[in-house]
Formats: sequence, C-alpha cells, structure tokens
Amino acid sequence: MKFFKKILSKNKKSKSSISEKGMLLYPSTGEVIRAETLLREAGLDIAVKGPPPDLRQGCDMIVEFDLMHELHVRQILQTAGLNPLRIVPVHDHLLEPVSLFNVKDFGDYLMVRAANMKITIEKQSQRIVNISGGGCPDVPYLAQMLVGKTMSQAPEPRVLGQTLCGYALQLAFQEVKRLCPG
Amino acid sequence: MKPTTLDARGLSCPQPVLLAFQAMREMGSGHLEILVDNEASQENVRRAVVSQGWTPTITKLNENDYVLRCEKS
Repeated sequence: MKFFKKILSKNKKSKSSISEKGMLLYPSTGEVIRAETLLREAGLDIAVKGPPPDLRQGCDMIVEFDLMHELHVRQILQTAGLNPLRIVPVHDHLLEPVSLFNVKDFGDYLMVRAANMKITIEKQSQRIVNISGGGCPDVPYLAQMLVGKTMSQAPEPRVLGQTLCGYALQLAFQEVKRLCPG
Repeated sequence: MKPTTLDARGLSCPQPVLLAFQAMREMGSGHLEILVDNEASQENVRRAVVSQGWTPTITKLNENDYVLRCEKS
C-alpha cells in the first residue's frame, strides 16, 4: 500500500512540474503588443504578463500561451516576421501587469486608472478629455492621438503604443468601454 | 476686458483639465487664464483647450508654475 502511495505522489509531483504554458520573449514591449494582437486575432487564448525575475530586463512583458498550440503560434509569428527571441516554458507564477482598476466619478466625467495610466472621458458624449500618467516616451503621442475623440472614434492604444504605458492605457481604455458601452 | 482666471495649482490630473473644460463651456468664448503647477498639467490643459478651439499662449512663471492665456473669439 505504501508503495502505491509513493508512486502516486511521485506521479503527482512529476505531473505538476510539466509545463503547460510557454512564454514568448521579445526585445521590446512594442513587439509584445504586436504579437499579442496577432495571436488574439487568430483566436488563441493568450495573456500578457510580467516575466519571472531571472528573465526580467526592465519594465518588460512576455506573452503567455498554451504550449499545445506552439506550432500554430510559431507559424503565425513567422508569417508576420515577428519571431520571438526565445520561447520558454513557464515554471513559475507570472505577474499580471495590471489586475486592478481605479475608477473615479467626477460627475459629468469618469476617470479610469490602470497601473500608471489614466484616461478620462465625458460621460454624455463619450469624448476622451484627458490622458495622463506614464513616464514613457510615447505618452504625449498617445494623448495627442486620443484626446478630443469619442471612444468609438479613437484608435485603440495598443495599435499606437510601444511601451508598458501604452499597454496600461489599453487596459484602461477597455475598462472604460466596459463601464460605458455607449 | 479682464480675463477669467482659473487657479488649478495643487490639483492632480485630470482635475485641472476638468476645471478648464467647465470654464470653457460656461464662457463659450473670450479670455481665460489657467494657472497650473507642473509641466504635465500644463501639457494636458494645453491639449484640452486646443481640442475645444481655444488658442493658448503659455508662460512659465517660475520653476513649477505656468500660466496658459487662452483665447477664443
């Protein structure tokens, strides 16, 4: 009986060490965002997360995907000329870049903050009146492209952004859309 | 004619922008002066007033403070 128990626990352990997820490593956040967009458009279940400490290079991100679909992922990325630096199995728990939103109601206006980025819209017209926060070089550009436009007219920040701030802004943008579906 | 002055110093984003929007909506046109105390607010308010068809002239008053003199006829 003890023998069986030992085998079972061993099997259980070895099963948990088999990685089911992989991560795509890229040299820049812009490529991560492009890869995310492509893979989502292909209907793949993926997530953008923070890398484990040993693979961290700065304020970078990785794309987590199901290893079962590795071949499909590789094909999509190769076709788009977006080959990752490395594909690594995920062994540790990865950090979510943003998991909480801060929503503030200013009466006629609504502000949503995701990480370090804030987006404020006029509720009635759904017009973006302010983009702030950041510290990344593309924030002034993102603000220039979005402020004054309605949520339906405005391009998605993920299309324009090249940094973690752009990514955070995309999440805030999506949260505004969820809260004010127009 | 004396401009309407809005002191948005000490406020964090997006409040200076929201105050500017409120003032622009109430005034419709004319001369509006907006005081802010950091470069990010100056940039955000400038973008907001331009988006509403106002023309700002920006002056740096000291190390932190800016005044945006905005006009719309």
